[in-house]
Amino acid sequence: MNNLKEIKNERIGDKYFEIDHSSGLKIYVYPQKGRSSTYAVIGTKYGAINTKFKYKDSEEIITVPDGIAHYLEHKLFESEDGDAFSKYAKTGASANAYTSFDTTCYLFSCTENFEESLRILLGLIQSPYFTDENVQKERGIIGQEIKMYEDEPSWKVMFNLLGAMYKNHPVKVDIAGTIESISHINPENLYECYNAFYNLNNMVLCVAGNVNPEQIIKIADQCLKPSEKRVPETIFPDEPYEIVKERVEQHFEINMPSFQLGFKEKASTKKLTAKQICETDIILNTIASGSSKLYKKLLDENLINDTFGYEYFEGTGYAAVIFSGESKDPDKAAEIIKEYVKELHETGISNEDFERAKKDIYGRNVSMLNSPENIANAMLSLYFADRELYNMVECLANTTLEDVNNRLKEQLDVSNCALSVVLPIKDKEGK
Amino acid sequence: MNKNLISHRICDGVNFNAIKDTRFKTERISVNMFLPLDEKTAAKNAILPFLLSKSCKKYPDLTKLNRRLSELYGATIHCDVSKIGDVQALTISGIFLDDRYALEDDKVSENMTKLICDLIFEPLLVDGTFSKYNIEQEKRQLVELIDSEYNDKRVFAKLRCEQLMCKNERFGISRFGKREEVLALTPEVVYSAWQNALETAKIEIMALGDINIDATAEVFRQAFLNVKRKNVADCETEIVKSADKVSEYKDIMDVSQSKLVLGFRTKFAQNDKEVMATRVMAALYGATPNSKLFLNVREKLSLCYYCSARYDKSKGIMMVQSGVEKENIEKAKLEIIKQLEEIKKGNFQDSELEAIKKSLCNSFRTIGDLLSGLENLYLSQVFDDELFTPEQYVERINAVTKEQVIDAAKATTLDTVYELVSK
Repeated sequence: MNNLKEIKNERIGDKYFEIDHSSGLKIYVYPQKGRSSTYAVIGTKYGAINTKFKYKDSEEIITVPDGIAHYLEHKLFESEDGDAFSKYAKTGASANAYTSFDTTCYLFSCTENFEESLRILLGLIQSPYFTDENVQKERGIIGQEIKMYEDEPSWKVMFNLLGAMYKNHPVKVDIAGTIESISHINPENLYECYNAFYNLNNMVLCVAGNVNPEQIIKIADQCLKPSEKRVPETIFPDEPYEIVKERVEQHFEINMPSFQLGFKEKASTKKLTAKQICETDIILNTIASGSSKLYKKLLDENLINDTFGYEYFEGTGYAAVIFSGESKDPDKAAEIIKEYVKELHETGISNEDFERAKKDIYGRNVSMLNSPENIANAMLSLYFADRELYNMVECLANTTLEDVNNRLKEQLDVSNCALSVVLPIKDKEGK
Repeated sequence: MNKNLISHRICDGVNFNAIKDTRFKTERISVNMFLPLDEKTAAKNAILPFLLSKSCKKYPDLTKLNRRLSELYGATIHCDVSKIGDVQALTISGIFLDDRYALEDDKVSENMTKLICDLIFEPLLVDGTFSKYNIEQEKRQLVELIDSEYNDKRVFAKLRCEQLMCKNERFGISRFGKREEVLALTPEVVYSAWQNALETAKIEIMALGDINIDATAEVFRQAFLNVKRKNVADCETEIVKSADKVSEYKDIMDVSQSKLVLGFRTKFAQNDKEVMATRVMAALYGATPNSKLFLNVREKLSLCYYCSARYDKSKGIMMVQSGVEKENIEKAKLEIIKQLEEIKKGNFQDSELEAIKKSLCNSFRTIGDLLSGLENLYLSQVFDDELFTPEQYVERINAVTKEQVIDAAKATTLDTVYELVSK
């Protein structure tokens, strides 16, 4: 039996549907009136960090090479009866896939032949076909993808920061792995990972736009083979609270230096609640948005430009506040941010800043519900984090200044932050 | 669904264009000024959107302005400088929540329309000119933006190839002007560039979403009452129809992956009737995972992760970009050239052509579902004789024949090869 539930929000005037499909797959459908396009994404709670795992009913610990989730994403496009791109070519859908730290997602957007495209998507994740030959062929392609990222300072500055913050957690390893690690990937370990994590009980399908739930249920009924409820647990090494290193730098053939400053937090395997996320959103908005005193100070000192930003980076076993941007003097910028944060811990956030941040975030959260792509992607990541779309809007309205200042006490520990900078090669030669 | 554009002429060379569309939670207003791209004026024009979008008389610094935007439910102001052929386009836009979703009676739309006008027409002036502090801030940031184009080697290699290929055309000028010219700007110079832009630029105002068209148009009409409009700047683009020889350039750098960029002249551009066939040809060549370049250079030969072709109809050029191992540059280049030859010879199935057309139609229809997509679509046609809706694009794409695609490929010539080679 498929269980269908309607979820409504009066404030926004929208609704969507949650379906517990009999195959084990969770499905969300967000119909939008008057749209001609539909965006569908299916994801598994499996990404770059799931490299060591074990089944409940077994003692064996399985370890696989770094980068295998991403390799698997590439290879899943092929099946015995041809590759998915050539199938999508017949429907006109635009398709893609991506691997993150803790998810792998396959998506398409289309304006016609939706049902056929959805069949292709559901077929794609259920028909692995790995041979020595087709796995070997992919090595050159992924090798070039890895090399492309090696030259991207904006990518390297992040992984250098993760390396400076995390001692053991696999989040510090590049999502695509290394040229060396992918040389150990073969059909056997690809099947091992596929069978472990591409289990419908570990996956979610999110569709938004020109669509209705009945359509999706019909196709799901036809295409999905029920999965046995047997998903292994990922084993994460113990991660100390302390960072590894206060500062890391790397030189590139660039003209503009940049930085990422990360405040490592205590993290558990449980993700944060909607309330905690709302509080953190407000804290970060008051600290570093364009309205903040810190932003003004950094600008006045010529230390940041439009690229300055912040994010809350969290997943299974890791959480950090990260400030980033280009700067001619990254060390000075980081120093000022740290001083400001220290001060804020003493004074707390003011009511004026708090109210303004709430309005700002409310507007942005509602605006996000415009495009099918944003909606479906948000539903997917919220599902894996055990949070809910409209709850995020409602939680914000109910958050108090006291809650926020209490949460601030647990975050942004100035004695536990790391700085990663990338600098021009010519600066190195000058020294 | 009404995606039709309603246009009002505000004054000579200034149009207000609106698309009334109730499907969205946001509205979008942009002011786009078009001026000829010229070495002497590029830098002082380029700084304008950055300068104007950060303060005005009413909100004299960025903090005050941003606080106002936060109060208006996280409304955002964006600015951009782009190139459409040999034309420099200066854009200031605002994206904000539709009044239906405001928690109080904040009149977001009305306030944002006025705010955008204030930014452009009522800037902060000190002793009759722009503030020295603001000019120095924006000069620094514009220089950093120019410096950062070098950071991303994919972006850099494409820009470098375009600039080398079009070094004798105005298209070869950077959209931001030269670094040293930015550094030399003074408040007075920028002030006169601002006046010149208001008085002579071709200006297209776009307003999209569930807006009150008449009220919004009226705000802009009032704003332009105080501007003495002069002759509208001539925005012509020079089209070099074909290359008589292939120029090759090479830079050696300390990078891990080499980049290869090939610049082609497509003969057809702007209002030529062959433009749609050229667009289909470029897509078949290298715009989708079913294109010749993807299937052969990437999938068959495993030479790269990306290899794609992009057609720029305003300039009549097509750029192919790829990232490869140093020792594979030659092999990749030969394969890229060979695949265009295959199209010239007609070596592609009807089903391949159909798939490409379907994919293009899908992207045009998807554009119709996004305010930003619709805005871009209409702005990309500013210099065209005829204005097409997404559906009209779909009709024209579907009408392209195999012979027309072959002819478009035959008309395309390789002009410049740029290699960024790793040490």
